[in-house]
Amino acid sequence: MPDWAQHVRTRLSQLRLSPTREAEIVEELSQHLDDRWRELIAAGVSSDEATWLALADFRDGNVLAQYIEPLREAHPPASVTPGAPSGHWLSGVWHDLRYALRTLWRSPGFTVVSIVTLGLGIGAATAIFSVVYNVMLVPFPEKEVDRMVFARIRNPQQSPESGRQGYTATEFLEFTENSHSFDGIIAATGEVVLYKHGEGTERLNGALVTPGTFEFFGMPALHGRVMQPSDYEPGAPPVVVLGHTAWMTRFNGDPSVLNRTFVLNGTARTLIGIMPPRFGWYGADVWIPEKLRREANAGFADAPPRWFLLGLLRRGVSAQQAEADLTIITRSLAKTFPQLYPANFTVQVRKRLDAVVGRYRPFAAMLYTVLAAVGLLLLIACSNVANLMLVRATVREKEFALRTILGAGRTRLVRLLMVEGLVLAIAAAMLGIFVAWGGLKSLVAAIPPNLVPAQAVIELNTPVLAFTLGVAILTTLFFGLAPALQASWRDLSDPLRDSGKGVSGGFRGKWLRDAFVVMEVALSLTLLIGAGLLMRSFVAQRQLDLGLRADHVFRTVLAVPEDRYKTVDEATRFFRPVLARLKALPGVAGAAASSSIPPYGGAESKIEIAGKTHAGDWQTRFQYVSEEYFRVLRIELAEGRTFSEADLDGARKVAVVNKTFKQKYFPNESPIGQRVRLGMLKRAADVEQDAWFEIVGVMADVRNGGPNVQFEPEVWIPYTLTASARVLMVRTSQDPGTMMKAVRQEVWATDSGVALSIPGTLEDFISEALYAGPRFGFLVMTIFGCIGLILVTVGVYSVLAYSTAQKTHEIGIRMALGAEGPAVLGMVVGAGLRLVVAGIAIGIAVSLVLVRILETQLVGVSVYDPPTLVATTLLLTITAAIACWIPARRAARVDPMVALRYE
Amino acid sequence: MADIDTHALDRELKRGSAELLILSLLDARPRHGYELSKLIHTRSGGQLTFHIDSLYPLLYRLEERGWIKGAWVEKPEERRRRFYKVTAEGRRVLAQQRKTWAAFVEAVRRVTGDEHA
Repeated sequence: MPDWAQHVRTRLSQLRLSPTREAEIVEELSQHLDDRWRELIAAGVSSDEATWLALADFRDGNVLAQYIEPLREAHPPASVTPGAPSGHWLSGVWHDLRYALRTLWRSPGFTVVSIVTLGLGIGAATAIFSVVYNVMLVPFPEKEVDRMVFARIRNPQQSPESGRQGYTATEFLEFTENSHSFDGIIAATGEVVLYKHGEGTERLNGALVTPGTFEFFGMPALHGRVMQPSDYEPGAPPVVVLGHTAWMTRFNGDPSVLNRTFVLNGTARTLIGIMPPRFGWYGADVWIPEKLRREANAGFADAPPRWFLLGLLRRGVSAQQAEADLTIITRSLAKTFPQLYPANFTVQVRKRLDAVVGRYRPFAAMLYTVLAAVGLLLLIACSNVANLMLVRATVREKEFALRTILGAGRTRLVRLLMVEGLVLAIAAAMLGIFVAWGGLKSLVAAIPPNLVPAQAVIELNTPVLAFTLGVAILTTLFFGLAPALQASWRDLSDPLRDSGKGVSGGFRGKWLRDAFVVMEVALSLTLLIGAGLLMRSFVAQRQLDLGLRADHVFRTVLAVPEDRYKTVDEATRFFRPVLARLKALPGVAGAAASSSIPPYGGAESKIEIAGKTHAGDWQTRFQYVSEEYFRVLRIELAEGRTFSEADLDGARKVAVVNKTFKQKYFPNESPIGQRVRLGMLKRAADVEQDAWFEIVGVMADVRNGGPNVQFEPEVWIPYTLTASARVLMVRTSQDPGTMMKAVRQEVWATDSGVALSIPGTLEDFISEALYAGPRFGFLVMTIFGCIGLILVTVGVYSVLAYSTAQKTHEIGIRMALGAEGPAVLGMVVGAGLRLVVAGIAIGIAVSLVLVRILETQLVGVSVYDPPTLVATTLLLTITAAIACWIPARRAARVDPMVALRYE
Repeated sequence: MADIDTHALDRELKRGSAELLILSLLDARPRHGYELSKLIHTRSGGQLTFHIDSLYPLLYRLEERGWIKGAWVEKPEERRRRFYKVTAEGRRVLAQQRKTWAAFVEAVRRVTGDEHA
């Protein structure tokens, strides 16, 4: 006689029956099997066959355990004090938790895919939003930052977000004394600070700050102290406060520099304090106290309005009220200083944040694009999980119908599924935190440092983490509950009766699953098109000919003691020997000076051309250069000649123009020999007023407005005409990065009081200034595009694999009736591709609308770039086709006999 | 015909008649599981079959509800067997279910039979 007990016990093993109860059930069922076996033997059946027939009464899928599981006896009360009311509920959840873990463990594919999908979505969204939050929304550490405002004097004819933001000392004092809207107003202005030490001179970014500045921000010093009111008084011992970044980079964070004396711009100042990392007022390295006085302006109406003011709005005072308040004061100021106020001017009060966002606008646009992209990614992740859960719901429909029939209440099922959903969401959250943490680290490393505010510290944002977690939990709960709701909506006896012969798939969730696949495909295509466009634009920018050769060029900006370099003579007496010394260095092919850093053109000026009259203003950019400028930058000569040494030495009034200048102002004639006058030069004190310059040459165009902008007319004139050249460029045959020391030596040998600021290779500068933002955008978008593609592949595959598995019976019948493998393959792939094609159609339509937000960030490529559209669509179609093909191939290999015997 | 509770009818139809069958068979006298499954099979002319894996869970559920009671009975020269009998509560439920069932059958007969009357 067979050992029935063993067969029964195996089936009960996954239940939590008490040992006594399990023994009873084993005994009872063994007896039943034994009775049946004996009866069969008596009827003449062989022993083996009788055993097989008796056991055949147990159906596949361990129906016995499924039926017993909902019974109370399968859940013996935990050994707690009898009558403790809460124990029952908690222990119920505990059992659900264990059951959920077991269930998820048994379907590792589903579990892993769900957790990874959601984890990636949560992590990516959190990381990107953390960046946006810390860079664009809350870059400042101060608590009162919402009340900090600045004011603009607007000319109504100018664009809305422009206007004068610099004020004179008198204006500042008038505002401070007569306004009623502020708890405090401070002023600051930038000042180049030359720090002289043993070997030479270094340049620091300084800021002159007015009394109350440190109290205004409420931030104490990290070491030492901040300035006190007495430090601002005339005659007080000169002091300085150092910023954290400068402390770390220049002094290696050495605390012993505190209380030491430094010679800054010729004044010995005691370092009294070092500020914490997030204090970055006015982007300065050092802060120097300055008390503003009216006398400074007396009798000098032209004093430049160079003070930036920041006010702390009184609580309850709106920006409009402050504007009204300041308008009264400025109306009276305008009478005294008419040159500072345009006709019909208005006062505009804006939050401090707007100044920052304005300054970093291009990168902000990129960040918001990336944020939108990560939103799409999160949507894809959530629909993917929803889909997986719906598929699983259908698979488990029968299980839940059985549970309900056997008396498990709906609340019981809902609780079980909620626990399952929570387990998934929590696991995904843990992965998400990890992804966000790692992702943020890489993002911070990848973000171009000059494109974000100095004070911004990018860290993981908890509210966002909580938000994405909420989304994940809602997704898993909502779609996890589908089977329970399904089970209670349906006629419960159905799934039992048809015993799963789902010819049609039978589940009303099918359209929902299909809709999710279509949506995923559409979203993913949108992401891919965005990534593709940014990639094309980046490549186009890199390939764009700037009009000059930036390789093998070392460049630096010189910070000179302004009081010693006021006249042309003083400047030339420095530059000529420095250029000669640099040219003499081994490996140096040429050295030049200029007033702007390439590829950018110089300042803008109105022009006049001798013998030509015109309506409206004629404009050009212009800059001062030395004779080797064009050779060092390899800018090609188009017509005439470049500057000769004699031009420079004699400070001759000659000019070289670019092709655009020629095309615009001399369309049908040669400009050589013509004369031009620059309006801006009238303001330069050291040049002969109203000088006419003779055009001697035409150069090829350089991208003088940046890579995204049309060429602008440009005029170059000899630097020996003014004292304004500050940029040094050296073309070398070796790596220009190694030139730093040699160049500094030659500069200091000429004047040890001159500092080299931002030294480096021109190539690095251009790469950083022009390409860092686009590179960041396209890299992040490409990563998102790839993740989106993977998620969609998983989504398409899981839905198709499931529906194919459901159709095994149908496919078996078709094949038994003569359908060939390829026909079946076509049928399944066709079903999948229908969804994919629908998704692509919607995706293209959506993209054509959405890509417009990319328009400002694209260079050299249209938002409706056909190659990008075709390539991304093809990529998605091929990937989706592979996802369809795998389950289809499996279906085509179905053995009809096996499929039909399946039930 | 007695008024029937429409909710009860609905529920009974959904739940099927399994409980009714078991309670009816046990109403006559206590029986063990194998006997129950044989009786249902033979009396229904082979139309109804209880699998072992649904019969026993159903018995345990009815027992949990207090409608039937199982007890091990030992007989000389035989292994002990678990016999089930209907409890007082079970009888009350059975009476109710019979009434509902009868009402349902009557209702169906009226609808389907009157056409040919």
